[in-house]
Amino acid sequence: MQCKIVPSVCSYCGTGCGILFEVIDGKINSTLPLKTHPVNEGKLCIKGWNLHEHVNSFMRLKKPLVKTSGRFITTEWDEAIGLTADRFSEIIQKYGPDSVGVLVSAKLTNEENYLAQKFARAVIGTNNVDHCARL
Amino acid sequence: MNTKVKHWLEDETIDIFLGYKIVDGHPLPHCFTKERIEELEDLIVGQARYSLEKIATHITTVNPDIKIGMLARDCNQRALNVLFIWNQLNPENIETININCCPSNLKEHGDCSYLEPETAGVYKKQVGVDNNLQPEDVEKHDQPQRLTRWMYEFQKCIKCYGCRNICPVCFCTECSLEHKELVDPGTLPPEIPIFHLVRAVHMAGRCIDCGLCEDACPVDIPLRLLYRKVNEIVVNVFDYQTGASAQQSPFNILGDTVTLEPKPLESVETQN
Repeated sequence: MQCKIVPSVCSYCGTGCGILFEVIDGKINSTLPLKTHPVNEGKLCIKGWNLHEHVNSFMRLKKPLVKTSGRFITTEWDEAIGLTADRFSEIIQKYGPDSVGVLVSAKLTNEENYLAQKFARAVIGTNNVDHCARL
Repeated sequence: MNTKVKHWLEDETIDIFLGYKIVDGHPLPHCFTKERIEELEDLIVGQARYSLEKIATHITTVNPDIKIGMLARDCNQRALNVLFIWNQLNPENIETININCCPSNLKEHGDCSYLEPETAGVYKKQVGVDNNLQPEDVEKHDQPQRLTRWMYEFQKCIKCYGCRNICPVCFCTECSLEHKELVDPGTLPPEIPIFHLVRAVHMAGRCIDCGLCEDACPVDIPLRLLYRKVNEIVVNVFDYQTGASAQQSPFNILGDTVTLEPKPLESVETQN
């Protein structure tokens, strides 16, 4: 019997509410607001309250899927990333780097967002970087 | 406190102990076990209040025979009594260490997050609701005024279900608040006042006045006041003080005998 209360940050939006995961025998059983967190002060919205359902959902994709002749086939990360890279190279060669855009998100950390824009500018070679919060 | 818990864990009176521990600067609920007994040095009473009995209920669902020890403020104890009555926890499997708590109708003293600003930390700011509103204070106003005020409070609701989710005595697997015939889904604010009244009715004989719902409400609806009124009616009609003991509740229909016996009504007597 193992029971752990794990503090974390809600991944739904960019607000960054403090949450607690109640983990029983390795499975996230429920989500609680972190009462002493300066951002949410013990309150959560409906999405935060249900984070564990999103983690435990049977519909959650745990492996990458590649669409091959109209059907999604489960594959490994190396293959999926390799395939994406090949297709991107093809597109960039044919239509130029500005045919690609990178859309980042408030759900990512600062560092991940930085990496994403770096990837767009240095690897793809475009300034087409935007953010979902800039609606 | 630490020595007692240590003894309990060592002689297997309990398998796990639910207390608090500082993690990354936050007082968090923590599960202490025999395997990691050295952690007991960090056991604290904890200034932030969490529903340890709800965690205990969740653990019991997974592992019905586990013996659980926990720190218990008065609200935790009242909640445990209600959970015993409703067969969610077995009193034989629960040991408590009683600690001081917040003021309530049942007990006046306290040292927890519910107190006045000087003893409360940053985690409990007095914003919006006065957590200690009593039904009598509000009933000074006339009915239309009260209705307007309640409707104003209810329409702030963002339907986060936080009041239900945090509630130590809410354990139903199917909740009326998610029943589409009772509460119309997909609208915000939820159908008012029915959403809040459905919950209020279900709190009769269940609510142990811990105030966690009000703490968790992002829009400061005075829920504690509403449920206090509901339980005032329960006291007047059934003479039953919710959570005061683990004896059968007048609302409990499980068992051989019907226990729903109201106090004799005066009007009935005069008719006879």
